[in-house]
Amino acid sequence: MGILKQALISCVFVAGVAGASDDVYREYDPLETYEPNVAGDRKHSNTYQYWMDPKNLDWQMAGNPDENWKLNWKFMDPPFNPVVHGGHFAEDRGETLYKKLNTRGRFASCLGATKGNLKGLRASYPRYRAELKRVVGLEEAIEICAKRLGHQLENGSYDNSAVSVYIASRSNGMPIRIDVSKGPMKEAWERGRKLFHTRAGRFNLACSSCHTHQVGLHLRGTVVTTPYGDVAHYPVYRTRYQLQSLHLRFAECNLDTRTQPLRPGSGAYTDLEVFLTGLTNGYPVSVPSERD
Amino acid sequence: MRTAGTLAMLALLLAGTASARADAPPPDAVFDPGAPLKTLAPKVVVNSGKLEWVPFHRDLTSWPTLSHHDKRPTPRPVRATLNGPLDGDAARGRELAMRPDKGYCIACHALPGEEWPGTVGVNLAGYQQHRNADELVFQQIFDARVFNPNTVMPPYGTFGILTEQELRDLVAYLQSLE
Ligand code: HEC
Ligand code: HEC
Repeated sequence: MGILKQALISCVFVAGVAGASDDVYREYDPLETYEPNVAGDRKHSNTYQYWMDPKNLDWQMAGNPDENWKLNWKFMDPPFNPVVHGGHFAEDRGETLYKKLNTRGRFASCLGATKGNLKGLRASYPRYRAELKRVVGLEEAIEICAKRLGHQLENGSYDNSAVSVYIASRSNGMPIRIDVSKGPMKEAWERGRKLFHTRAGRFNLACSSCHTHQVGLHLRGTVVTTPYGDVAHYPVYRTRYQLQSLHLRFAECNLDTRTQPLRPGSGAYTDLEVFLTGLTNGYPVSVPSERD
Repeated sequence: MRTAGTLAMLALLLAGTASARADAPPPDAVFDPGAPLKTLAPKVVVNSGKLEWVPFHRDLTSWPTLSHHDKRPTPRPVRATLNGPLDGDAARGRELAMRPDKGYCIACHALPGEEWPGTVGVNLAGYQQHRNADELVFQQIFDARVFNPNTVMPPYGTFGILTEQELRDLVAYLQSLE
């Protein structure tokens, strides 16, 4: 342990301490160079070049266990992955549920679809909902709009995510496009970015402890990949979790790192979603997708 | 099985107000205050509009969460002292380094005779050759933030993940690696 390294890092420490609110001591890891666009990964993990075109991934790389992480696991997304999996069943169920809820067109208009057209809707969430005076993700909007019609589609439940996958499928191939440059969306992005770097839990880890500082490194058997581009394939089919929304993935990473998870749709998870969706700006929606 | 809604309500009732007390988990944390291990994990049930929550095998409610309402501070870095002879048991230390519920050092570090090591931390095989003083190694495991505030290594001592004797066993184990 070099004295020099120690002294150098002590300086960073002072700059790096920030509170969740000003009076509470929290540790904040200040190394960040994010851009609200998927191409920002060039300065992050620099693997973007390998997965930027989801149709033409390198087969050889996908088949090589030492290299496949560089594809950000995008070889498990359509259109590259032709396999029929649980995500397809979810999409079918989502379509049935959606059509049932939308018989009078009220569900679609509540979600914010123009003239009932779902095309592009997924690509423009999370968004600020004036009547709620806050930013919400698509799954939360689905929960709220279903409730208004007297149906329970709890955020994170299978049926909620199934409807979300169906809605996302109507935007397949369209790039994610949210504007985080001003107003409440910018505030949410900034809070999300800060949360991504804030340590929590029994092991005192931040999301960035792994997803910024350990990209490409092994945590026992798994390799951590870049947080850029991830949101485009959610909700995702996973054998262990059936159908996993983004907020449930946050809960999983929280539990894995021994941090008490939060409710899907909580302010913190929604801010993290805005942050990660910003990092996916410009990348095409691709569902249904699967992950290990 | 209770739903997130009722549990959050319960937590809210317990907290008394919408913003959490300075010593309590925040209202948007999902846990069962009456259970022995309070923390709950989400469980997705196929073809259901309800999200189930099942007991997690560890109670995590006493540590800071990412919630905006969480008013509990992170324990600050602690400078540890190693008094008396080391008196550690290397064999026990090895076991602690492998156990997911204890050190689980293998998640990040390579250790001799183990497959699938992590590559996040430095390779600890042959650690003895570094000739680091016991006090330094003890401090690194007790609370590595003293040396590197941005370390990703958990502060095992400060956070009470390992007892002092367990830390001594780990130091003895690392110092035995030729
Ligand atoms: C101890 C390491 C660690 C920490 C801390 C951590 N993660 Fe993860 N995370 C992983 C690993 C390993 C994976 C699976 C491999 C991958 O896709 O990167 C993963 C996967 C993910 C994925 C899915 C990526 C995909 O392609 O589907 C998301 C999203 C994610 N993490 C977000 C977070 C957020 C948000 C936090 C903080 C609340 C967090 N992670 C904290 C290790 C971690
Ligand atoms: C989440 C990742 C992680 C875990 C788990 C972890 N370490 Fe580390 N460890 C690191 C990193 C990264 C370093 C590099 C120095 C630093 O950042 O503190 C390190 C450094 C060290 C060093 C100092 C090496 C030197 O330069 O002399 C020792 C000793 C050590 N770890 C022992 C352990 C032991 C024992 C455990 C389990 C009880 C453990 N580590 C668990 C990530 C980890």
